[in-house]
Amino acid sequence: MLRVAGVTKLYGEHPVLRGVDLGVATGEILGLVGANGAGKTTLISIITGLRHCDRGNVTIGGIDALAHPRRVAGSIGLAPQELGIYPTLTVRENLYDFARLAGIAGRPARARIGEVAELLGLTEQLGLRADQLSGGQKRRLHTALAILHRPRLLLLDEPTVGADVASRAGILEIVRAMAAAGTAVLYTTHYLTELEQLDAEIAVLDAGVITVRGACREVVECWARASVTLRFAGQAPELEGWTAVGCQLTPTQAVTDPGAATAAALVALGARAGKLVGVDVTRPSLEAAYLAITGRRFSEEADRDLAA
Amino acid sequence: MISRRSLAVGRLSGRLLLSDPAPMIVTVAMPLILAPFLVPAARAQLQLAGYATAGGGDQVIPGLAVLFAFLSTQLVGTLFFREHAWGTWDRLRASPASTADIVLGKVAPLYVAQLLQLAVLLTTGWLLFGFRPDGSVAALVMVGAVFVAMVVAYAVMLVALCPTMDLALVLGNLGGMVMAGLGGALAPVSSLPRWAQAVAHLSPAYWALDAMRSITLDHAGLAGVAGSLGVLLLFAAGFAAVAAWRFRPSTVKIGTT
Repeated sequence: MLRVAGVTKLYGEHPVLRGVDLGVATGEILGLVGANGAGKTTLISIITGLRHCDRGNVTIGGIDALAHPRRVAGSIGLAPQELGIYPTLTVRENLYDFARLAGIAGRPARARIGEVAELLGLTEQLGLRADQLSGGQKRRLHTALAILHRPRLLLLDEPTVGADVASRAGILEIVRAMAAAGTAVLYTTHYLTELEQLDAEIAVLDAGVITVRGACREVVECWARASVTLRFAGQAPELEGWTAVGCQLTPTQAVTDPGAATAAALVALGARAGKLVGVDVTRPSLEAAYLAITGRRFSEEADRDLAA
Repeated sequence: MISRRSLAVGRLSGRLLLSDPAPMIVTVAMPLILAPFLVPAARAQLQLAGYATAGGGDQVIPGLAVLFAFLSTQLVGTLFFREHAWGTWDRLRASPASTADIVLGKVAPLYVAQLLQLAVLLTTGWLLFGFRPDGSVAALVMVGAVFVAMVVAYAVMLVALCPTMDLALVLGNLGGMVMAGLGGALAPVSSLPRWAQAVAHLSPAYWALDAMRSITLDHAGLAGVAGSLGVLLLFAAGFAAVAAWRFRPSTVKIGTT
């Protein structure tokens, strides 16, 4: 549905995107992650025609989106990072006017507004001015404007920033439902657990290029490491296969099953485990994988700098 | 040709104007409040200028209508700059509406609002303050329509040129006061200082008021105001050309909510 090929964007002489290649298939959720300033929002702006790129191609449903942005605009649902709603209009007016912009009017528009409002828990707020909504409700309205016309490509740029727990859950549920109905979803976030909950494909945008791409589970398995730390009252005891530093004992090598490693260590320690005061276990997670991916790049750069 | 998308943007913009009607109400109410205080002095000025039977409303009502039409350029703040402050400008641009659809859809309600403001002022002036458009009504309608088009083009030019809403408001108000003052909105041009009389022709307000005065005091028809209409159209085209040249939809503007 969405294909981005070799997209390069310079701000002055500073490259923000350096030949980004990316694809999102129909019904797929792609989580685009990266640090602030990595270029996620710039990439979305280019896909939607809000910014020009210096090189590269973007096709949406087989149409050249850079050459014909208006032809593909109706296929796109965009929820920008910054909240974008009309505060002086009611929720219903916000939805109705954007439905008309997307070419839906009259009874179909009213029916769709009812559906979307119910999906996002805004039915009771339809008659309220948007500036009377809570932060979470505003965020849900913001998302509703993007999905109102059943877009084939949904671009959500940090859609849950400022949303409360219930709003966040509601937004994730909508994303799941849209993808199940065949919408291709590009989802940027700093909350990596959301991508785990969505079981999304992951693409890491780092220093203007996609460094890793894969299914969430694969990325975690491939990159994330579990860790265990045993904490003692006083000096940690010596144990084969573990490293004692001060009052802490950690495995010398990476562990895949931190629970089993902890149990084995406790057996091996025997009576010496009596001084144990705490156990910290970190399970492999997308966050750990992300830190490992971006950390490796930093260390590679540092090595190169040292070699130079 | 007005597209369906332009109509959708126009409807949205109209709703936005109506959702915050205070600026429109003020620009209609203020001149009506000022008019009774200004009419007696204006009558004396017109009689000194040779119009023995003229009422003060013939000077005051068109003058205030022109002045407050220029001051109404603040409505562009609501229609353009606030879109940036509300984060909705990029949403509009990412919609199927083209830039031309968006601009047209924003300008059309502004035009209608300005035209209504002018109509209310002239009608109230006729009913209450002795404004007598004894010439051609069709000519008066044409003058109003072209003058408002020029004011809207001026307002859109300010949007195109100004990075912030505050700057657009300041320039809109200052520029409007200067143009209206030079054009004879506050006093007949013949009573202005010599230097002001010399440059009055450079103000579009002069040509609007000249046409209105021809209709009210000299009973002119369409032919009698054709020259003024032509000059007003040239001003409108000039402002619109600058707006089209300088308008960049991707430029981030700073508005206030």
